[in-house]
Amino acid sequence: MVKPPPSSKLSRGTVVGKALLKIGAAHGKGLVKRTLGSRSESNAHAEQTHEQIADIIFDALGELKGVSVKIAQQVALGMPFLSPVYLERIARSFNSIPPLNKALVRKIVKQELGRYPNELFEKFESDAFAAASLGQVHKALYKGDEVAVKMQYPGIRQSIGSDMSLIHFAIKRFAKGQNVDHIVSEIEGRLYEEIDYALEAENCTFFGSHRHNDAIVIPTVYGELSTEKILVTSLLRGLSFEEYLATDPAQEEKDAYAQLLFDSFFYTLYKHRRIHADPNPGNFLFMEGGKLGLIDFGCVKQVEDAFLEKYNRLHIDLVENRHDGVVIPQYIDLNMIARSDEASMEQFYTEVIKPLDTLYKEPLIGESYDFGTNSDFSKRGFEMIFKVQQKQFHSVHRLNEQFLFLNRTLLGYYAIFEKMGARIETGYVKGLMRDFKGGKDGK
Amino acid sequence: MKISQSAKEKTRINILGAAVDLIIQKGFENASLREMAKAAGVSNPTIYNYFPSKEKLLYAYIELKHQEAREALEAIDGFETFTLREQLQTLVETELELYLEDREFIVQIADMVFRSSGLRVDTLYATNELFVRTVDEMLSIAIEAGEIKEPPFREQLPRLFWDYYIMVVAYWIKDESEAFENTTQFIDHSMGVIEALLHSDILSRVSDLGMFFFKTHLLSSIQKFTTQKEKLGVIKCKLGEVLHG
Repeated sequence: MVKPPPSSKLSRGTVVGKALLKIGAAHGKGLVKRTLGSRSESNAHAEQTHEQIADIIFDALGELKGVSVKIAQQVALGMPFLSPVYLERIARSFNSIPPLNKALVRKIVKQELGRYPNELFEKFESDAFAAASLGQVHKALYKGDEVAVKMQYPGIRQSIGSDMSLIHFAIKRFAKGQNVDHIVSEIEGRLYEEIDYALEAENCTFFGSHRHNDAIVIPTVYGELSTEKILVTSLLRGLSFEEYLATDPAQEEKDAYAQLLFDSFFYTLYKHRRIHADPNPGNFLFMEGGKLGLIDFGCVKQVEDAFLEKYNRLHIDLVENRHDGVVIPQYIDLNMIARSDEASMEQFYTEVIKPLDTLYKEPLIGESYDFGTNSDFSKRGFEMIFKVQQKQFHSVHRLNEQFLFLNRTLLGYYAIFEKMGARIETGYVKGLMRDFKGGKDGK
Repeated sequence: MKISQSAKEKTRINILGAAVDLIIQKGFENASLREMAKAAGVSNPTIYNYFPSKEKLLYAYIELKHQEAREALEAIDGFETFTLREQLQTLVETELELYLEDREFIVQIADMVFRSSGLRVDTLYATNELFVRTVDEMLSIAIEAGEIKEPPFREQLPRLFWDYYIMVVAYWIKDESEAFENTTQFIDHSMGVIEALLHSDILSRVSDLGMFFFKTHLLSSIQKFTTQKEKLGVIKCKLGEVLHG
C-alpha cells in the first residue's frame, strides 16, 4: 500500500521541523570533528556531514512525497554545481506520487467539471494509465473520441509552500550564508507553473498551431473540459520510446525521428521563442507513418528576445570555434560568469564553462553528427559535469536561468538521440541560427 | 381519493426542499411550519400530517440525504470493483456533495448540535439507520470477498463509522479552504488510517489486550467485592458464556 503523503499543516510542519532539528545535530557533530581532526581529514568530514544532511533532508522529503519529489528534481536541474552527494540523493528520491483512488477521481471530476465522470463521458476508466506531473491520466470516451483526462492531487498548491520552507532552509545551509532566495523563488515559480493545467492547455494549443512539420502530432485540448486542475486532450496512440526501440526499427527511420525532434526544437526556439523543455522519453509517442506525438506541455520555457539574440551570437561563435577572447565577454554579458577580477573570471571559464560548452557544441560543428559512432556522448558529459562539480563546490552564483534551461534541454535531446543511435543533419538548424535576425523575427 | 405512494413521496420531498430554503433564510428558530407549508404550496394540516414538528422535518432531511447518497452509489458503474476504502470514501464524499447546496442549513443544524445544545446528538442517531446499513453491507461484502478479515467489534464498526462521518461533517463546516480541499484531504488521509486499521490486526490485538486486563484484573476485583457464593457463580457463568461463546 502506498502511504498517502502527510498533508495537514500540522503533520507537514512536524516532518519539516524534525528534519530541521536533525540537520542541526549533524552540523554540530561535523563541527566538533573538524575542529579536532587534522587538516587533511577535514575535507572527508565535511563530505560526511554533507552526506548526513542530504540523508536527513531526503528522508524528510521522501515522507512528504509528491511535491517534494518535484522540488528535488527542480533543485537538481536548477543547480548544476550542487554537491554530487545531494544530487545522488535526489536521484534516489524519485519515487511515485500517491495515486488518486476511485473515490477521489470521481470527486475531482465532479468538482472541476460539475458532473461525475460517468455522466460526462461515454466511458471512463477509473484506473489511471499513466502518471503525470503531480497527478495522473485516465482514458475516457467523449462524444465518440478517445481522450486523456489528466488530474492532480487536491491541495497540491498549498503544500508547495510548506515544502519549500524546508528546501529554503536546506539550500541556505550549504550556501553558507550566501543569498539563495532567487533559487528558491525560481523553483517555486516553476512548480506553480507545472501544476497550472490552464497554462499547459494554452501551451499545448500553441504548439499545436505552430508545428514546423506535419509529422509532429500534438493533442487537441478540449477547452470545455479543462480547468486549472483538470486537462482533457485527445488521446494519441503510439509506441513509447522503449517499445519503439524494441521493434528494432530501420536506421533511416530512427534518423528521421531524431531529425524531426532536433529541427523542431530549434524551430520553436528561433521562430516562436518557446521550447518544450522536458525531453523525457516518456513525453514522445512513436506513431504510425513516421509521425511523432508530443505530449505533456507542463514544462515549457519561453525565452526573451534580448536573451535569444545574445545566445544566438554566442552559439554561432562557439560553433565556428572563435577564440576565448571573443567568447568570454559574451558569457560574462549573459551572466554565466560572475563579474570579478579578470584572472578568476578566466579561471571559471576554463575550468567550468569551457569543458561544458565544448560538449554542447560538439554535435553542431560538422554538417552531420552520428550519435551511433559517438555513443559515449552522455557518458563523457556526465564525467565532465562530475569533474566540474568537484572543482566548483557550492556555487550559488546566479547563473543565467534561460541559458541553463536551453543547454540542459538540448543535452536531454542528445541523450535520446544517443539511445537511438541516430544520425542528425545540422544544416537546417544552422540555417535557422544564421538567418535569425533577432527582434521580431518570425513573429 | 387515494394518494399513491410516489405522490406522497413527491410531496414530502417538496416540503423538505421548501423548508430547508426557508430555514436557510430565516434560521431554524424563526421559520414556522405554517410558513413552510405556504412556501411548499400545501395546506397546514397536510404539513403536520407529514411532519408533526420541525425536528421531525430535520431528521427526515438527513434520512432523505442518506437515501439519495445510497441511490447515487448504486448508479455508479462498476461500484462493486471499488475497494472497501474507495466505497466508504465515496459514500462520505457523496453525502457531503449532496449537502453542498444546503450548506447553510447544515451549518445551522451543526450549531444546534455542537454549540447551543438545541439538539442532542443522540437524537440524530435515530436517523442513521440507512447509512449504518449501507456501511454494514460494504463491510460484509469485503469480508466475504476476503478483502479484509473479520474484524473484532464487527457489529459496532458501522456505527463507529457514522461517528467518524459526523466528525467529517463538523470539519467540513469549519473548512474555509478553496473548494473545501482541506476536507477532501482530511477524508483521504483519515480513510487511509481506517483502511490501514482494517487491513492490519491491530484491532484484534487491542481486543486481546482488553480481554487480558478484563480476565486478569477486573474479574479478580469482582471476586473480592462479591461475598455471596451464589452470585459469584452466576457472574462467572455469565462471563464464561460471554468469553467462550
